[in-house]
Amino acid sequence: MGKEKIKYALVTGGSRGIGRAVCIQLAKDLDYTLLINYNSNKDAAEETLAIVKEVGGSGEIIQFNVTNSEGVKTKLEQWHEDHKDAVIEVLVNNAGIKKDGLFMWMPKEDWSSVINTSLDGFYNVTNALIQKLLTNRYGRIINIVSVSGLKGTPGQTNYSAAKSAVIGATKALAQEVAKRKITVNAVAPGFIETDMTEDLEESELKKMIPVNRFGKPEEVAHVVSFLASDKTSYITGEVININGGIYS
Amino acid sequence: MMTRQTIIEKINDFLIEDFEVEEEELEPSANLKDTIGLDSLDFVDLVVAVESNFGVKLVGEDFVNVITLQDFYNLIEKKLD
Repeated sequence: MGKEKIKYALVTGGSRGIGRAVCIQLAKDLDYTLLINYNSNKDAAEETLAIVKEVGGSGEIIQFNVTNSEGVKTKLEQWHEDHKDAVIEVLVNNAGIKKDGLFMWMPKEDWSSVINTSLDGFYNVTNALIQKLLTNRYGRIINIVSVSGLKGTPGQTNYSAAKSAVIGATKALAQEVAKRKITVNAVAPGFIETDMTEDLEESELKKMIPVNRFGKPEEVAHVVSFLASDKTSYITGEVININGGIYS
Repeated sequence: MMTRQTIIEKINDFLIEDFEVEEEELEPSANLKDTIGLDSLDFVDLVVAVESNFGVKLVGEDFVNVITLQDFYNLIEKKLD
């Protein structure tokens, strides 16, 4: 019998916002070492790591741009080379960007970059890890999508399309890998207090939210942490809304 | 250089041990999916088993024309050549 492997949870875009909250919640709730991915903001990633350690967890940071297929592959292969006793058992595909604007005026670049980050990012990271997860015969993949991917949000055709596509991929992949005790689920937040929503007028928007406020990143993180746990073996291909009641 | 016989023995060994295939099912003409009962996910494990036994990394495309056990022996023999 081989030595028990060190189990990691990789969170893409883990330096800020929902990603950071997820890292912290996983560190509090579950027995995983965190692998905190960032693209450009190393200081923020270090800060997340410091908080993870403060709450009793452990982890490391890892730089890669999820849109760069080759870069992701090389970086993760290298990481596995350097961590022969490790297995990434939980993957949270969280990295995302938005570039809002009316479709009529939307440059191709804004369309593509949003899709590249959410959808290709999902492919690049998940595909690089899936074979190892399959041979591990246990895993949790959680994709952070959005209410926009379910109901569509005006001014966000690109973001809605990208998130909707990830929801489709979630459902398909869930069925492919279920036999190997790997679950694939999506979490769809509504308006959450992060950098991504800081330009939005909360006082105006909250009127249309039944709970009458924006959500907190921690509230999303609790759902992710639950899905990442071993209590959820029979939940797969599911999209869990967390939006204060604006859509279900 | 590994002989064809050694390749066949090695493959049969891990199919019996790791894939719980019955020895009598291991006819060269046996269909890997229908007769031997390997599902698409088992092919992932096959890739890993081949890599650890023969040091050869297979990709999905390698399996395009692999239908029977014979095809699989041929594939490995060709890869080792």
